[in-house]
Amino acid sequence: MVFLSLSCWIRSRGPDRYWKIQEIVKNAKHFRGRKNRCYSLAVKAVRRAFVYATKGRRLKKRYMRTLWISRIAAASREHGMKYPVLMHNLTKSSVQLNRRVISDMAITEPRSFLSLAKVARARQQEGFRAALGDGKEPVGVFSRVVLLQ
Amino acid sequence: MTSRGTPSRFLQSVLQNGVGRYVCQLKRLSIIFSKNAQSSLGIRGFIEEGVVDYAKYNPSTVVYVSPQPCRIPKIVAEYLNGNVREEIVTGKTSIQISEVLTKLTNQSGLDIIRLRKPFHTDNPSIQGQWHPFTNRPPCIGPIRPQKQDAEQGLSNI
Repeated sequence: MVFLSLSCWIRSRGPDRYWKIQEIVKNAKHFRGRKNRCYSLAVKAVRRAFVYATKGRRLKKRYMRTLWISRIAAASREHGMKYPVLMHNLTKSSVQLNRRVISDMAITEPRSFLSLAKVARARQQEGFRAALGDGKEPVGVFSRVVLLQ
Repeated sequence: MTSRGTPSRFLQSVLQNGVGRYVCQLKRLSIIFSKNAQSSLGIRGFIEEGVVDYAKYNPSTVVYVSPQPCRIPKIVAEYLNGNVREEIVTGKTSIQISEVLTKLTNQSGLDIIRLRKPFHTDNPSIQGQWHPFTNRPPCIGPIRPQKQDAEQGLSNI
């Protein structure tokens, strides 16, 4: 007797199962509990993690900006000015530094930040004199800076 | 790909490479291709015309050309810090392969993963890092011993 149909009953049910599972579970290796090992739990956890990562990329930009603003506010209050006053007068004097650079300067170059605060203060005083004096004398140097777009 | 789940590194150069002499970080290039297969056509053309010029132009890189019976032609680049990078060049033309080679030559061997910041300094602060006493005025006068009236008052007691 010859058994010919026996070999037809052996099927390879997909040789790649290990790698397909690893592709997902490797992203969960730093999770807590069984979701870093078991595939069905890991799938759900990894999907959540990716969704949070996507949302977080948009939120990170907001958080960083609020951090810079709070740092600049603290630094300018050391010099007796408030944040909105500082930024408004800097833009009016056409200093186009962004908040990231100004906050880094407040940390690593405190004297340059002091000079920026003085520029803003001078421009503010010129604005007050222009508003209150209403005279025809030239107001000052900083208000005559050409504003770039 | 989360930031915690995938590895990341800071921007750096290998031992401050460009400051003094520039050392090309590419140590060894092995070009694995097939002599007769259709996928290695571009590689064969590159080896006919461009490889010798490339090797003369980059004397610090060793180029190995190894024809083997293989289905996919590869370029294996080894760097001075030990990293190995394989580029698959099936179906590329000779010009595209020379572009791949210039890219590999210009790379340092550091891992190609997420860079946390696109800048790096060893000396971030020139005027001195801020500390709570930077903007405080110094004390009123020089430090001297107490006044003599107080001393006499204490001695009377």
